Amino acid sequence: MEFKQHKLANDLSLIGEVNKSAKSAAVGVFVKTGARDESEQINGVSHFLEHMLFKGTERLSALQVNEAFDRTGADFNAATSEENTFFYARVLPEYLVEVTKLWIELMRPSLRDDDFDIEKNVIKEEIAMYKDLPSFDVMDRCRSLHFDSHPCGNSVLGSEDSITNLTAEQMRDYFAKRYAPNNMVLACAGNFDWGQICSIAEETCGNWQKQDVVRELGHCPGSKKKERIEKPNLAREHICLMSAGVSAQDPRRFAASLLGTIVGDDVGSRFFWELVDKALAEAAVMQFGAMDGTGVFHSYIRCSSENVAKVLEVVKDIFGGLSSGGITKDDLRKAKNKILSSLVIKNELPMGRLLDLGFNWIYLEQYRTVEEDIEAIKAVTVDYVHSLIEQFELGDFTQLSIGP
Amino acid sequence: MTERLDKHILKNGMVLLGEPMEAVRSVAFGFMLPGGAARLPDGCCGAGSIITDWIFRGAGDRNSRKLGDALDGLGLHRASSVGSSHIGVGAALENENLSQALDLYADIILEPHLKDDQFELAKQLAIDSVHALDDDPRHKVMLKLREKFYPSPLGRSTLGNIDELTALTAKSTKAIIKDKFNLSETTFAVAGKYDFDAVATQVESLFETGRKKALEPVTLGAKAGKYTHIDSDGAQVHIGLMTETVKPTDEDYYNAMVGVSVLSGGMSTRLFTEVREKRGLCYAIGARYHGLKDAAGIMCYAGTTPENGQETVDCVIGEFNRLSEGISEEEIQRAKVGLKSSLIMQSESSSSRAGGIASDYYMFGRVRSLDEIKSKVEATSVDSVLGFLRDNKFKDFTVVTIGPKEVKVK
Repeated sequence: MEFKQHKLANDLSLIGEVNKSAKSAAVGVFVKTGARDESEQINGVSHFLEHMLFKGTERLSALQVNEAFDRTGADFNAATSEENTFFYARVLPEYLVEVTKLWIELMRPSLRDDDFDIEKNVIKEEIAMYKDLPSFDVMDRCRSLHFDSHPCGNSVLGSEDSITNLTAEQMRDYFAKRYAPNNMVLACAGNFDWGQICSIAEETCGNWQKQDVVRELGHCPGSKKKERIEKPNLAREHICLMSAGVSAQDPRRFAASLLGTIVGDDVGSRFFWELVDKALAEAAVMQFGAMDGTGVFHSYIRCSSENVAKVLEVVKDIFGGLSSGGITKDDLRKAKNKILSSLVIKNELPMGRLLDLGFNWIYLEQYRTVEEDIEAIKAVTVDYVHSLIEQFELGDFTQLSIGP
Repeated sequence: MTERLDKHILKNGMVLLGEPMEAVRSVAFGFMLPGGAARLPDGCCGAGSIITDWIFRGAGDRNSRKLGDALDGLGLHRASSVGSSHIGVGAALENENLSQALDLYADIILEPHLKDDQFELAKQLAIDSVHALDDDPRHKVMLKLREKFYPSPLGRSTLGNIDELTALTAKSTKAIIKDKFNLSETTFAVAGKYDFDAVATQVESLFETGRKKALEPVTLGAKAGKYTHIDSDGAQVHIGLMTETVKPTDEDYYNAMVGVSVLSGGMSTRLFTEVREKRGLCYAIGARYHGLKDAAGIMCYAGTTPENGQETVDCVIGEFNRLSEGISEEEIQRAKVGLKSSLIMQSESSSSRAGGIASDYYMFGRVRSLDEIKSKVEATSVDSVLGFLRDNKFKDFTVVTIGPKEVKVK
């Protein structure tokens, strides 16, 4: 593995990790923009814009873009979150240059009115699809409730209304402000030629206009509100709990993710033994999510309406038990083994490597080897996790449930 | 799909397969046990869902908690599944823990405690999973589709149904485990970093028990119907659609695969272009080949708001039928590159390779090499794919919808 980096004069970051023995290569464009960077009037624009980037440029129509990707046999797509938009392709090494050129070209899209109008329907279908997925819906709504007036509570998809009212002009304006070179990272991982990628980027991105984009950061302690939404067509109660955690820049993020695993991994965790193993809930998981300048622990629990009170009582006991009794060395050992093996398995694939490479650059402007992450996880002690538990009361959560 | 295949057969008939991978530190393994949904006795639909939970609730000299802790201590990621033909149990982990993991899995498969109180909990969770399907219409529609499309019992729901799950007892489920955990028809597959001699010696010492026992043949019944609608007050109509095609062992299999790729392999393909890009009818739209050993189909999902339901179904069926009217050379080339690329990229993951070699062995009685698959894909052409499609026109479409509005299937 060999790390490479280069910054263009306009501040676009290029990074890569070369692994000549890999059978594939992956390329990604990471743009530091998402729902938290939107105002209420244009809520949903980051995600809609992600769709519109596939609609082509002055030179390429939407169909030509899709054909160009498919000619390389790429596994390609994009995703938008509260704070990032991420475009990627996974290809055989011989197609990496072609697919990288294509992504770069698409980063300066036409954003045509007629494409915008048709894609608006697709976005509304996507909103409708997630409405039928309460396990997603409950997390989305709970995030809004938890973050309250903090921009991380903005919905990624936007609402039916905000999308209806959004104009192509507003989207073009947002694009011009956010897709600036200093707000983007072009990353490659796997089997590829770094020199070639650099010269392509110099040649094709060099004329992107330099500008300053900043994001205001602020930690959010969370609203700690509790709400329930009744939906008679549902069969189960879907419960989401959210509480504050450390940020993606905080060295304690490794301890936080170990704590998440101890409390809520899908098997072998406290949630598992107390809720799932005893058949009180059919799903009960907790994860730690590190974000830009803030972070959350979020849990998802699904159970029957009859079991809700009992389930919440058990959850209270689990969180209470953590505060009073802490964790054991054995808890920590098992959680470390699980996280370490996931890390190894994920990073064996160029695509998995690309994700860590890109997001470490977005959040930390830092290259971290897999070994460094392994060492950081191994170094976490029981006392370290205890100080986290003390500072971030898991039991003091925002709660949203949706059920019949 | 491999460059080197390790193989060893135990005296009791159990098959051991391995695919070494140079570039990885991980290893993945799986046991394919012949207890899939189609092989269950009548009236036991969903037993697999209980079994894959129950066998982990204590085995060998460990109770449920100790067994869970031992598995977690190895940092392994469990993967259990219930299919039409098999129950799969396995895991992915770092290679140095493989031997300890195999000891634990031998206990789980050969000496599960199967305690009555634990049965009730496993059964409750299985029943809850079926209830929860009502809140996941996209998943539910595809399960229903298989049930309606395949001749009974091939398409039986792997999650089961409430009535039959409720009727199952610890005694009847134990009898199923005894009968179906038949080692002589079990395949063990491992891929990644491992020492095959050591693995074979260990598996032999753990699993060389029992006599050879043939499987009872599955008798196929009728298909369940053409159109099924399940009324539900959701935001979308979830549409599942399936039509018959050749089985994986058919000589036209690769023509069928390339044909499906032209229809729905990437974003420039027919369904995505016509349904989503030109008409904006759907966000989620796609079709794929779904093959069992005894029957196969092309399976399609589309989700759309109720007022667009009819146009979506008409458009999708129209594209299926239009396929045999003509395909361009460019479309075939893109389909081939897509199939070959995904084949090679899958070969980088130990989990996907362990699953791949086991399912190849079941389907074909051997593991196909990567070169063989590549050359068969390469050998297809506009003429061969069109010839196949014209000789095997899509006739009947099985359609299932879940949502507030029905559609008409012509």
